[in-house]
Amino acid sequence: MLANRKVILTLLACALPLAMLAALSSGPVSIDIPAAIVDGWYSDSSDAVILWQLRLPRAVLAILVGAALGLGGAAMQGMLRNPLAEPALLGVSSGAALAAILVLYYGAVSIGLVLPLLAILGALLAVASVWLLAGRGASASRLVLAGVAINAFLSALMALALNYAPSMFAMQEIVFWLLGSLANRGWDQVLLALPFVLIGALFLFFSRNYLRALSLGEASASSLGFGGRRYPLLVLFGIAFAVGSSVAVAGTIGFIGLVVPHLMRPLVGQDPGRLLWASALAGALLLLLADVLVLNTVGTQELRIGAVTAFIGAPFFFWLIVKGRREASL
Amino acid sequence: MNKYRDILRGLRLLSSIAAVLLMQGLISAPAYAQARIASLNLCMDQILLQWVAPERIVSVTWLSGEEHYRRAPLPEHVYLNRAQAEELLPLKPDLILTGQYGAQRASQRLDQLGLHVVRIPDAYNLAQLQQQLASLQQTLGALPELHQQRSKLQSLLDQAPEAAAGNPGALILSANNITYGDGMLEHELLTRAGFNNLAAQQGIQQLGRVSLEQVIALQPQLLVFYGSDQDFAIAHLAERHPVLRNYIDTGSVYRLPQELGFCPALAAVEVLQQLMEKRKEIVGQP
Repeated sequence: MLANRKVILTLLACALPLAMLAALSSGPVSIDIPAAIVDGWYSDSSDAVILWQLRLPRAVLAILVGAALGLGGAAMQGMLRNPLAEPALLGVSSGAALAAILVLYYGAVSIGLVLPLLAILGALLAVASVWLLAGRGASASRLVLAGVAINAFLSALMALALNYAPSMFAMQEIVFWLLGSLANRGWDQVLLALPFVLIGALFLFFSRNYLRALSLGEASASSLGFGGRRYPLLVLFGIAFAVGSSVAVAGTIGFIGLVVPHLMRPLVGQDPGRLLWASALAGALLLLLADVLVLNTVGTQELRIGAVTAFIGAPFFFWLIVKGRREASL
Repeated sequence: MNKYRDILRGLRLLSSIAAVLLMQGLISAPAYAQARIASLNLCMDQILLQWVAPERIVSVTWLSGEEHYRRAPLPEHVYLNRAQAEELLPLKPDLILTGQYGAQRASQRLDQLGLHVVRIPDAYNLAQLQQQLASLQQTLGALPELHQQRSKLQSLLDQAPEAAAGNPGALILSANNITYGDGMLEHELLTRAGFNNLAAQQGIQQLGRVSLEQVIALQPQLLVFYGSDQDFAIAHLAERHPVLRNYIDTGSVYRLPQELGFCPALAAVEVLQQLMEKRKEIVGQP
């Protein structure tokens, strides 16, 4: 059984470069990839520009954002000991999205970097609000309650912003942002998100043993030396950095943080520490494959990646329900 | 006594000449040259605000109050309507302008109530634009700017270069990676200015999607953006991508004004002229 799990994880790891190859081969223009590789980064040939400046950063961003969302989802489910938890539950995604919406709403920014930076700030503020609302030494259930309250408030503000959008154009901008996209992104977005995702991953790496201890219960975790505020804060801000920066560059992409840890949990023997990295790997793979699907869809309007991940996520829950009913009837 | 009779006769003669001249003036002048005009259409709003004396305008749509659409100063006395019949009735306008689409119910209701509603056709190509300008002139009279716009358009179309395979290629990259193909006014402006619209050559009819990859692969000599570059917008993210920096640095770009999209009558002539000049720069000959 253990060997099987390792084989599946190895297969997943091997699938990532293959998916990367599929992503680099997908696009509206047919290019000679070996020739573009030989031409190199600085070449002016169309194929080289398309490969190095358009397809590669997009694929790398899909991996980065997918990994961050998977990582954030696994950490959230581990900390709250709730398999239905995801980064959106504590308002991380909503905080980032609201900040982005306010930028788009007022449309007064001439520098493109302001939007992602404010989105990251929005995610951090949302987490800080949840933490303050839950109070010192809050239990998982109180954190969830505080998160639901903050998330509901942020969602209401987003609805209000949509309601009073100054123009149809602003409204469309907000809606498209909420659907997520990797189109037209370049290395600047990758370089913007990368340090924040790495900081978040580092925070979560340092809290892996806390998540393991927490799986035994809060009292046990406390007795094992994981009491106090330090570790929960580390997890929360780790999620805020990783997920907030992802939302900042790609908009809100749902379901990855929820579905991926579910899929990976049996493969890592319910270990929350190992689940983090397995979810990061699977999240990266899933989002990259979803983007390959987007790239191969022809139409006047771009198919938004958030819509694709929602279509993947919803049937997964149907399957979970059917599986649960089957097991109950046995 | 005779002297007074002569003066009276002279005065009668003068007054009858004046009456005849006045009648002639009334017949030849547009019916609404002195009228109070209202509009139920954003494009008509902007035309009125730019070309008609402010005291003749009684109402325009609320959209014209928005900075996003406003192209001319909005006089304080002008009422901003939301295309509701009951808003315009108390204003008692002599003429209500409306577009081909939109505000249909309000315009029908006002028409039924006896107000004079004139539907000005929309313009989706150059022929329709000429019809629109003619229709406006017929309704509003010989406004100097309107007349100038019509004759300038005709003159530019007369001197437009022949469509040829050797013409420089141009491609429109609009919001959300939308491009304009065959059958659109933007396509006609490009081709009449002496460019080959690469989107149309790719078989795009009306609107289509163009990715940055296609822009790089097609290598247009002129990249045409659409709309304002003032503020950041996700829809215009493609324009800011580093792969297009070379186009911007070498000046191989042109930006279509936003009003071309919602009121070509105000912008088409200037756009055509500027595109022709841009072509001269690219081709390097008159």
